[in-house]
Amino acid sequence: MPEAAALELDGVEVRYGSVSAVRDLTLRVGKGEIVGLIGPNGAGKSTTLNAIMGLQPAHRGEIKLNGQALRRRSVESIARAGIALVPEGRRIFGDFTVEENLRLGLAARRRTYIGDPFGPAFELFPILSEFRGRQAGALSGGQQQQLAIGRALVSRPDLLLLDEPSLGLAPLAVDGIFKAFTEIREVGTTILLVEQRAQRTVALANRTHVLVGGELRMTLGPADADDTEKIIAAYLAS
Amino acid sequence: MSVLASIDLQTLGDAFGLGAIYALMAVGIGLVFGVLRLVNFAYGQLIMAGAYTLAYTSGWPVAASIVSCFAVVVALSLAMDRVVFRPLRSSSPAVMLVTTFAIAFLLQAVALIIDLRDGQLGEVASSIAPLNQAVSVGGVDVRKVTFVAVGVALGALIALALVLTRTTIGLHTRAAASDFRTARLLGVRANRVIAFAVVVSGLLAGAVAVLLTVQNPFVQPDFALEDTIIVLVGVVVGGIDRLWTATLGGFAIGFVSVLVNAALPTDQTVFLPSVVYALVIVVLLLRPAGLFAWGRRAAMERV
Amino acid sequence: MRFSLGALVELLGPALLVIVVGLLATTASASNEVYFLNALVSVAIVVAIYVFVGISGVLSFGQISFVAVGAFAAGVMTVPVESKKGVLTTIFPILRDHSVGNVPSLLLAAALGGVFAFVVGMPLMRLSGLAAGIATFAVLEITHNVLREWTKIGPGATTLALVPETTGALQATLGALVAIVVAFLYQRSRRGRLLRASREDPAVARSVGVNIHLERLLAFTVSGALAGFAGALYVHLLGSITTEQVYLELTFLTLAMLVIGGLTSLWGAVVGALAVSGLDSFLSRAEQSDVHVIFTFTLWQGTRLVFLAAIMALVLILRPSGLTGGREFRLRWLRRR
Ligand SMILES: Nc1ncnc2c1ncn2[C@@H]1O[C@H](COP(=O)(O)OP(=O)(O)O)[C@@H](O)[C@H]1O
Ligand SMILES: [Mg+2]
Repeated sequence: MPEAAALELDGVEVRYGSVSAVRDLTLRVGKGEIVGLIGPNGAGKSTTLNAIMGLQPAHRGEIKLNGQALRRRSVESIARAGIALVPEGRRIFGDFTVEENLRLGLAARRRTYIGDPFGPAFELFPILSEFRGRQAGALSGGQQQQLAIGRALVSRPDLLLLDEPSLGLAPLAVDGIFKAFTEIREVGTTILLVEQRAQRTVALANRTHVLVGGELRMTLGPADADDTEKIIAAYLAS
Repeated sequence: MSVLASIDLQTLGDAFGLGAIYALMAVGIGLVFGVLRLVNFAYGQLIMAGAYTLAYTSGWPVAASIVSCFAVVVALSLAMDRVVFRPLRSSSPAVMLVTTFAIAFLLQAVALIIDLRDGQLGEVASSIAPLNQAVSVGGVDVRKVTFVAVGVALGALIALALVLTRTTIGLHTRAAASDFRTARLLGVRANRVIAFAVVVSGLLAGAVAVLLTVQNPFVQPDFALEDTIIVLVGVVVGGIDRLWTATLGGFAIGFVSVLVNAALPTDQTVFLPSVVYALVIVVLLLRPAGLFAWGRRAAMERV
Repeated sequence: MRFSLGALVELLGPALLVIVVGLLATTASASNEVYFLNALVSVAIVVAIYVFVGISGVLSFGQISFVAVGAFAAGVMTVPVESKKGVLTTIFPILRDHSVGNVPSLLLAAALGGVFAFVVGMPLMRLSGLAAGIATFAVLEITHNVLREWTKIGPGATTLALVPETTGALQATLGALVAIVVAFLYQRSRRGRLLRASREDPAVARSVGVNIHLERLLAFTVSGALAGFAGALYVHLLGSITTEQVYLELTFLTLAMLVIGGLTSLWGAVVGALAVSGLDSFLSRAEQSDVHVIFTFTLWQGTRLVFLAAIMALVLILRPSGLTGGREFRLRWLRRR
């Protein structure tokens, strides 16, 4: 495909002080794909997403969105360029109403669209529409995660980054959001999904990379989803 | 009996008047703290600059004089953000605070030089002094400026509350004050939100300059310095982490100071600061996160 | 306690610097000497503040209270008895009828400063962050208010004069050295190291059984004693003092010295005090302040403050970790320059 990938990382290194948390990371997410990124705690998954978002600027290497380099751009300008991050721990504004949280998501919108600006969130998660006047902090964990995803979607991003969205959710809620990812892909939004639920991620994603100790170890395809041993081996390889 | 009652009413009026002015200052300080996590000790010098502007333009029509006061204060407030706050954004709270001390001294020293060009310390801002006259309310003399102060404070606070809750920039500012990192990754523009807070804080300083010069038209380089210190204390005592607790704290310390002053025997009023600050210590020990703050302690570990 | 060579170097750097300044003071002209002495007393005050603020990481605006108490205690108790009857008419008879010598007054000031800090610190050391900053500031306000208005313990709002001017080059140098050595011994001691560790991570410190409240109280008390001592040095330098001289301005100036030097190291405290005092002296000389003008500040006098404040702000903005970067003196540091 000659077309530029939605996201390209080339030789990215991210450091905290003098310690590098991610080394020589190269990966590519094509338009409309879901790419998974799995790995044990402390592997550098969140660090990778933060580097893409500009929260923890890369020390070395190139990050490109739709072929355009993101180097040295501020966090908010990266958000406005079309990347939305659903951060670890959701980070919703608990004192604000559901609607106010969604309105914040509009900050990164690049154009105005006809119709309900919250449409992308409400179509996927009707409960948000029903609870739009409630305090966000009063929602259940699953609903808060839906709000965090909905808030990212109302900006109509080209690329959605998700940092362990299923963490701490009840099994039913996990099913719900994994189903949502498929629907998000269907409307053409590209997804980079960081997860600990390896098997489900491998089954869902076009490709899933395994990150261990800040380095890519292996790449798995949907066919590997049932090969538990292979996944475990990838985790343990060090 | 009636004497006592009249003293009480008058005192109460003064207490509300001072509390209102301090509440405005508290909002100005609290807004900037909210988005920058910076305690701006130099806030008083914004007010001082406004007061000098009123003094130097006291020959002008009152409206023009007041407008130029606001213009100078807002411009200075923005300049302070650009030159001082912005480079300090990633510094530790102690460095930020001490830098604003230095800025406060700098502005005071500059004011001294300007003031002394005529060979005399102090300038008089007289054009709006008539507001200082008393009106009789039910047999009690209350200065007009007390009503104006309470009115202006209420008006400003209501307007600000509406802006913060009803507009996009208000929503963005509240989000930034609550969790700046997340606000930015949602696309909230840091510089715009900070500029908004700085401008509003400047407008409030301008309003305070007008109200304070009515009460005390004699402007010197340390104008509003003491008030600022007291309001900073009040803001922390009330709970600096949220705008409304900070505002209440500012109001409370002004209000309580006037009442304590009235309650002290005449020969003991020189010890007013001791009494007020002893109260401050007791409140801080009992409620370190703020007198009006419930269930939140996180911010106190920041400095 | 055993010290490595590196640790001794850490002490020698600040100590030698102070001795050099002391030697310069003896060679300077009479009118210049006071600048050097002032700088040395500033070192003592800033080191006292460092012992609490720098090591514990808790902000305090209250340490000048202890300087004030030390200054007035040492001052009132060293004015000769004959003069006291004439000038300090309102004070308690027991204070009026007794005086002590220079050295006892220094010790008295240190003891009072320490006791005062201990008493105040017992409740306040539970606080941290801005609450601690404001509570200690309240202590400064109360101390100032009481010293200024209670004429049974001192001169009140009037000037305390006729204090023997015993802080010459020798006393100033030795005084600054005492402060530095005490600070050094404390920060190198087990307890000092525990407190510093608790600054970096209070939760971890607590989990390994460090009683942070107690450690902070100890630092606060040591700092208070040093501050009282420094106050005595100060009053014996000036010969006369008012409560305004040991209040807001001194608080802000000394804190600025500490932060400019580098909040987290003894070396930073010493360098900051000397650098800012030196700058201030230089600016004073530059504006020809030989002529004593009481009321009409000349234009020049204004510009000194403008420059001083502007340079301080600039250093803080350009080098937020301070001139020393908050690190202790090391020989490698010398080589790198
Ligand atoms: N703010 C930080 N400062 C220093 N080190 C960090 C910071 N955040 C993460 N790290 C370190 O970077 C490594 C990767 O962390 P992270 O990206 O959060 O891993 P993951 O998300 O895969 O669990 C870990 O060793 C972690 O300790
Ligand atoms: Mg993570």
